[in-house]
Amino acid sequence: MQSSENNVILSFQDLNVKFTLRGQTLHAIRGVSLDVLQGESIAIVGESGSGKSVFVKCTMGLLDANGYISGGSILYNGQDLTTFRTDDDWLKIRGKEIAMVFQDPMTSLNPLKTIGKQIQEAVELHQGLKGPRAKQAVMEILSDVGIDDPVRRYKQYPHEFSGGMRQRVVIAIAVACRPRILICDEPTTALDVTIQAQILELIKAMQKKYNLTTIYITHDLGVVANVADRIAVMYAGDIVEVGSCDEVFYDPKHPYTWALLSSLPQLGVKNEPLYAIQGTPPNLFHEVRGDAFAPRNPRALKIDFLERPPMFDVSPTHKARTWLLDPRAPKVEPPEHSRSLREKGVSRRV
Amino acid sequence: MAKYIVKRVLRSLITMFIIITILFALLRLMPIEGYFENFDKMSETQIQVKLTSLGLMDPLPKQLLRFYNQLLHGDLGVSNVYRRGVAITEIIGEKIPVSIKLGLMSLCISLAVGLPLGILMARSTRTKYKIGDRLGTVFIVIIQAVPSAVYHILIQFAGSQTYVGKEIFGLPMLFDESNPKSYILPVLSLSIGSIAYYAMWLRRYMVDESNKDYIRLARAKGVPGGAISRRHVFRNAFVPMVQYIPNSILFTLMGSLYVESLYSIPGMGGLLVTAIKRQDNTLVQALVLIYAVISILGLLFGDILMGIVDPRISFAKKEGSR
Repeated sequence: MQSSENNVILSFQDLNVKFTLRGQTLHAIRGVSLDVLQGESIAIVGESGSGKSVFVKCTMGLLDANGYISGGSILYNGQDLTTFRTDDDWLKIRGKEIAMVFQDPMTSLNPLKTIGKQIQEAVELHQGLKGPRAKQAVMEILSDVGIDDPVRRYKQYPHEFSGGMRQRVVIAIAVACRPRILICDEPTTALDVTIQAQILELIKAMQKKYNLTTIYITHDLGVVANVADRIAVMYAGDIVEVGSCDEVFYDPKHPYTWALLSSLPQLGVKNEPLYAIQGTPPNLFHEVRGDAFAPRNPRALKIDFLERPPMFDVSPTHKARTWLLDPRAPKVEPPEHSRSLREKGVSRRV
Repeated sequence: MAKYIVKRVLRSLITMFIIITILFALLRLMPIEGYFENFDKMSETQIQVKLTSLGLMDPLPKQLLRFYNQLLHGDLGVSNVYRRGVAITEIIGEKIPVSIKLGLMSLCISLAVGLPLGILMARSTRTKYKIGDRLGTVFIVIIQAVPSAVYHILIQFAGSQTYVGKEIFGLPMLFDESNPKSYILPVLSLSIGSIAYYAMWLRRYMVDESNKDYIRLARAKGVPGGAISRRHVFRNAFVPMVQYIPNSILFTLMGSLYVESLYSIPGMGGLLVTAIKRQDNTLVQALVLIYAVISILGLLFGDILMGIVDPRISFAKKEGSR
C-alpha cells in the first residue's frame, strides 16, 4: 500500500491561510499539519468550502491575490515553500516538481491552441526537448493517456474533444511536466459517471508508471475508496481525522467522519430519507472556538464548545482531533450507520 | 475555408444590391432642385428639357437599370451643384488620398500606442496598487466621456501655442499638405479616440482571459508570466477584437468630419454634409453608396479574419446555420 520507505515528500506544519474580503478576514486554513509520503496516494475529503482546494493551492503559489499564508510552513525538498514570494521562485516548483489536474476539463485547455502544442509547451519547459523530438515525446504521452491516433489528435483543438478526452489531455500535460507530486483537484467531478472510473484508472496507471505521489481532493467518497491509500478528512479549514483508508472507513473516530460516512447514499434504506448532517458549516469570518463541528454534533461534549481538541493518536497511522479520544471523555458510541459499514457488507469499493 | 469566404462574399453582394436599390428609390423622392444649379431662374420648359436630357423622365424601371449599368462601369455620375459638370469619381479621387494618408498615420499610431497601453493596463491589474490600470482608466474615461469636439479643440489650441516665449510645440494650426509639421496635430486628434478604444477593449478582454481556467493551468504547468501573456492571454484576447478592427480601420481611412473641418483639411470627411446642404443629388447618392460599401466590406473582412484566427468557427459545415 504505502511505499516501502516512508519518506516524507511534502510536509505541512501548522499551516494557516487567510483571505481578506472587503476588509474582513477569512481564516480559511486553521493550523493544519500533514505529512505526505513519497509514492502514496492521499485523498483530502471534505464538503464544499472546507478549504481542501485552498490547502493544496498553497503548494504551488496559486492562491488568489487576496489570499496569503499567515503562519506555518510547507517543507518540500528542504525548502520552505511559504517563503516563496515571486513567480520566479515558484517556477522552480510549478510543473517541474508539483503538477496539477483541475476539476473542469472543458475550461482548463486553451481553446485557440492545438492540444499537441499545449502538451508540447510542458514538454519543452520541463524535459528540455525541442522541435521534432519534443513532438515525438508528445505523441508518446498521448498514447500513454489512451488517446488513439496521436498524429491526427496532435493537430486538433480542444473543442474537437469530448470531456473525458480533454481530461486525458489535461493529465497528459501534468505528466509531461515530469513532476514528483501530482495534485488532482476533483478530477472527476465534472465528468460523466461512466467516464469517471476510466479517468481514475488512468491517474493510477500514470502514478505507477512515473512513480508519482498523488494528492486527490474530492468530496466523493466513492472516488476516495477507489484510489486512496490514506484519507485526510477536512472540516472548516482543519484536518479533523487522518488515517489509512481502512482505518477511516471502518474505524472512524471523529464525529464529523461518522456523519460524513453516515450520509453515504449506499447506506440508505429504501423508502427512507437519506441521512443528512444538520446545520451549516461555521462562518470562517469569525474566530472558531472549540471543535468547529460541535454545533452540528448531537453528541458534542461541553468542552467541545470551549477548547480546541488536540490531535490524538489512535494508532501510529491514525490520528483524530476530537475530545472523545481523551482518556477522561465519556464513552460515546459511533452512530449505527457508520459503525456497521463493514457488517453491512459495504466494501471499500463503494 | 474558400467555400465560407465565397458564401460571405455572395451574401455581401446581395446586401449591396439591396442597398443600391433602396438608395435609388430614396433619391427619386428628393426634390428635383438638386439637379440644377440655378433652379429658380429657369422656366418650366427649360426644366423639362434638362430633366429629359438627364433621363429622369424615363419610366422608373428603365432608370433603375441604367443606374445599375452605370455603377457596374464604375460611373458614379456627374455633380450638378457642388462642382457643376465634374465627374464624381474625379471629385472623390482628389479628396480621398488626403484622408487616407492622414488616416493611415493615425491608424499606425493608435495601434502602436493603444495595444501596448491595453496590455500594460491588463498586466497592471495583477500588481498591488494597479497604478498603470488606474491611470489608463482615467485617460480612457476622459476620452470617452468628454465630447470629442472639446479635446480636438484643446489639442489644436495647446499644440499651436508657444510657451514661455519659446517654440516648444508651436505647431501649425491649419493643415498644409506640403508642410510635414502641420500633420502632427490632426493625426494626434484623429488617433486619440482610437487609442482609448483599442486600449479599453484589449484590456477588458485580456483581464477576462487571464481569469480563465486555462490560464491557471498554464501557470500550474510552470509557464513564466511573460510567456503566458504573450502566448495565451494576448492572442486569445485579440480574437473578439478582430471582428471589429477592419471596420474601424476603414472608417479611420475615410476621414473625420470634425477634425477635417477644424484643421481645414481637404478630405472626404466634410463632403457628404456639404453635398446634402447644397442638395447635390448625384453626389449624395455616390457618397452614401461609398459609405455603405465600406461598412459591408468592414463586416466581411471582420468575419473572414475571425474565421482565420478562431479555430472554433467551422467553415461551411452547417448549411444556413448563420
